[in-house]
Amino acid sequence: MELFVSEGNPHCLKVLAALEVTGVQCSVQYVNHEERVVPFLSRPTLPALILPGGLHLFSSNAICRYLFEVSGQESSELCNQWLEWEATDLQPALLQALYMAVLQGKGSEVSTVLQGPLNFLDQSLSKGGTPYLTGEAVSVADVVLWAALYPVLSDSSQALGEHKSVNGWFDRVASVHSCLSAAQKVLQGKGLQGMKSYMQRQPAPQSSQGRNTQPCNCNPA
Amino acid sequence: MALRELSSLEKYLGLKKPNKYSTQGDKKVPVLQNNNGPPLLGLATIACHLVKEAKRPELLGDTAESRAVVQQWLEYRVTKLDSCAKEDIKIILKDLNLYLQDKVYLAGNRFTVADTLMYYGIHPLIVDLAVQEKEHCVGCSEQLSVSPRVRDQSEAPISPTTTTVDAAGQRE
Repeated sequence: MELFVSEGNPHCLKVLAALEVTGVQCSVQYVNHEERVVPFLSRPTLPALILPGGLHLFSSNAICRYLFEVSGQESSELCNQWLEWEATDLQPALLQALYMAVLQGKGSEVSTVLQGPLNFLDQSLSKGGTPYLTGEAVSVADVVLWAALYPVLSDSSQALGEHKSVNGWFDRVASVHSCLSAAQKVLQGKGLQGMKSYMQRQPAPQSSQGRNTQPCNCNPA
Repeated sequence: MALRELSSLEKYLGLKKPNKYSTQGDKKVPVLQNNNGPPLLGLATIACHLVKEAKRPELLGDTAESRAVVQQWLEYRVTKLDSCAKEDIKIILKDLNLYLQDKVYLAGNRFTVADTLMYYGIHPLIVDLAVQEKEHCVGCSEQLSVSPRVRDQSEAPISPTTTTVDAAGQRE
């Protein structure tokens, strides 16, 4: 089993955190952003995990889920739901926020972009009444969401605004030592600037309006 | 669209009692009202729940590896296919075609729920393609429309020519 990651790539932070938290044995290779590890994908995609059977995993959430499962923690339906929400709702907003903060110097507008997803997360945490997203212990959902939010939230405390429950949860997950050590590996202690070369290679995020008005398959013939 | 898929999936799984669904937000994220607990959100999450309810866990993959691959393609469906720009369609089909070249199904040799949801997601894209272009994507179109591989198994595939009624009873 071999894991390929690149420095400054926020998705790699997720898988490295999951690897450290689960303690799964796996060799890790640092490559550059342009390396095409997954042979069937036209665009370079990292992180990538080559499974024992030779299949490739190229989704960071699927990799994290797999690492938790082989360490004996199968993900619950609530975990699945958080991972899906992270991919479909949080990621588009985060990409836009990172683009603004890292490349456009508009760090002050980050909190506006993240308002919606952070409200949702905050409400769910305060309604759930448990220290972590899916219960009393850290699950794959906590690790994935924490790692996704870490670059933005650790850089600017104002991005969090009045989200007290998110704040408490974020600090609780950060106190799991292995999470912070993964963040150090990916960002090299440079904060958001550590992601600059990665962000420069990403297509400019579409505005959320454009995404909703022209999805290509909302129109069955 | 998503609700219609879920209702087709229920039929395929042989679930007798249809579930109650609603949608949430601008993106019309499906929500399953659950009597035994809080509602479930999201197409992929609900699809996996239905498979478990029908006691067909093999459709989620029979090893840790195949389960990971199934989840990956479910995520691909709801992130890449559901919001793709027109110019990305060809890249997506080309990638899938290459991936499927040496495989029978997305997770290898066994049919899974990833095939069902990817089928529903790609169908409208394939229908839009000109015939000539389809020939460049033999693997995909074979899996999706010509070969009985997926069609037979997903009993009620969404046909572009017939109007179906979704779980909420609305014509789409």
